[in-house]
Amino acid sequence: MLAIEAKNLTKKYKEKTAVNSINLKINQGELFALLGTNGAGKTTTIKMLSTLILPTDGEIKINELDIVKDRQKVKEILNVSTQETAIAPNLSVKENLEFMAGVYQIPNRQEKINELIKMFNLYEVLNQKAKTLSGGWQRKVSIAISLINDAEILFLDEPTLGLDVIARKELWSVIKNLKGKITIILTTHYMEEAESLSDRIGIMAKGNLIAVGTAKELIKQAGSETFEDAFVKIATGGEI
Amino acid sequence: MRTLNFAKRNFKEITRDPLSLIFAVILPLFLLFIFQQFNIPNESYNLENFTPGIVIFGFSFITLFTAMLISKDRTTSLLIRLAISPMTPKDYILGYMLSIIPIILIQNILFFILAICLGLSFSINIIWAILVSIIIAILFICIGIIIGSISSEKASSGISSIIVQLVCFTSGMYFPKETLGDVFGKICEYLPFESSLTILKGIMSNNLNSIKTRNVIIFVIYTVTALVISIAVFRKKMISDNK
Repeated sequence: MLAIEAKNLTKKYKEKTAVNSINLKINQGELFALLGTNGAGKTTTIKMLSTLILPTDGEIKINELDIVKDRQKVKEILNVSTQETAIAPNLSVKENLEFMAGVYQIPNRQEKINELIKMFNLYEVLNQKAKTLSGGWQRKVSIAISLINDAEILFLDEPTLGLDVIARKELWSVIKNLKGKITIILTTHYMEEAESLSDRIGIMAKGNLIAVGTAKELIKQAGSETFEDAFVKIATGGEI
Repeated sequence: MRTLNFAKRNFKEITRDPLSLIFAVILPLFLLFIFQQFNIPNESYNLENFTPGIVIFGFSFITLFTAMLISKDRTTSLLIRLAISPMTPKDYILGYMLSIIPIILIQNILFFILAICLGLSFSINIIWAILVSIIIAILFICIGIIIGSISSEKASSGISSIIVQLVCFTSGMYFPKETLGDVFGKICEYLPFESSLTILKGIMSNNLNSIKTRNVIIFVIYTVTALVISIAVFRKKMISDNK
């Protein structure tokens, strides 16, 4: 069964086309990485797929639900970790988790919060106000919050941006644990992250989805030695 | 439930900023106390008149907190997360409003306790005045939502301080509008702050005849307009911020 199906997905801002008629199918339980250079249209695509903005044209189905007609139902089954940390600054880490559990009306609230505290090892910062945390901790908390509603589809928009190597590896481990259980759409600028974590990779350039496949398939398609070289070749049309 | 959950979070965010409490409660209390020490020969400074004036003055800081809270939420991407969640615009607007009501009650109770200590006679009208002040506060909350939705975190405090000044000069809390000349007097009449204060004074002194139809009409027009604009602007900004 498809978790996400986008047909002719387009987003225009006046004269500028941010996303140009892309077609995308992502299977349930798949980890799909969306790569591209800055301004390629990745974040706009994620925003449309996650109900944050409406497409100018085209249609999106999430678990067979129409994103426009069944908007409220769709919102219940997905979650997002945004590029910027999205936490309440004057609340403690625990209160942030409790607040978001309330937003999603989680029935087994305390159990779920405890599970996330354990998963992200948040014990030492649990009672600390979010605004006093380091950037790395804030990002970890922000990602933990995005798992509060046991989303069937999770969008991770550059989740490891600004994290140190250890924190990044820890987060990779969390993502690997989630693989197969939920559908994950990941955007990243780190090639090794996409290669190591994802089942399939889509490459965007200038608003178009120009290639989709496994890391191996994309390397083969580009005729390159490494995945990074393949990405550069595909994204630039072989100019570099 | 989502509305209450959001209101609870907003209340914590506001009250954990010590500057909020200083401006919303301690500054008006100080002004109420200090102006009673001077025996100023002007009716505006009688406790019966000045206490409701301080209540309205305190509300101008409610505008400030609401504006700062919303503008801050917009900058931290928290509103993006919430926009993706099942929360509806109704949950946001009511959540912001409900979070302010306990602060309004705390403000008013403390203001009236101090006023009674300074010599104001207690009557049941004080309770009525507190209840009516919650309705009046809606206007100030809505103005805060509008300012917070259209301005940055830094700009929102500056713009809100204009409201604080407008309340001081046009509500009649410090001096009657008649002493300000015809033009400024008319400006006071057509802004909502003088009408808000007149309504509150009339209820507190059980002198409903002092409340003119004009006061009620102006207050209702401003409040309904501010409510409609705040919902529209907040929704529009939530969408445009996310583009």
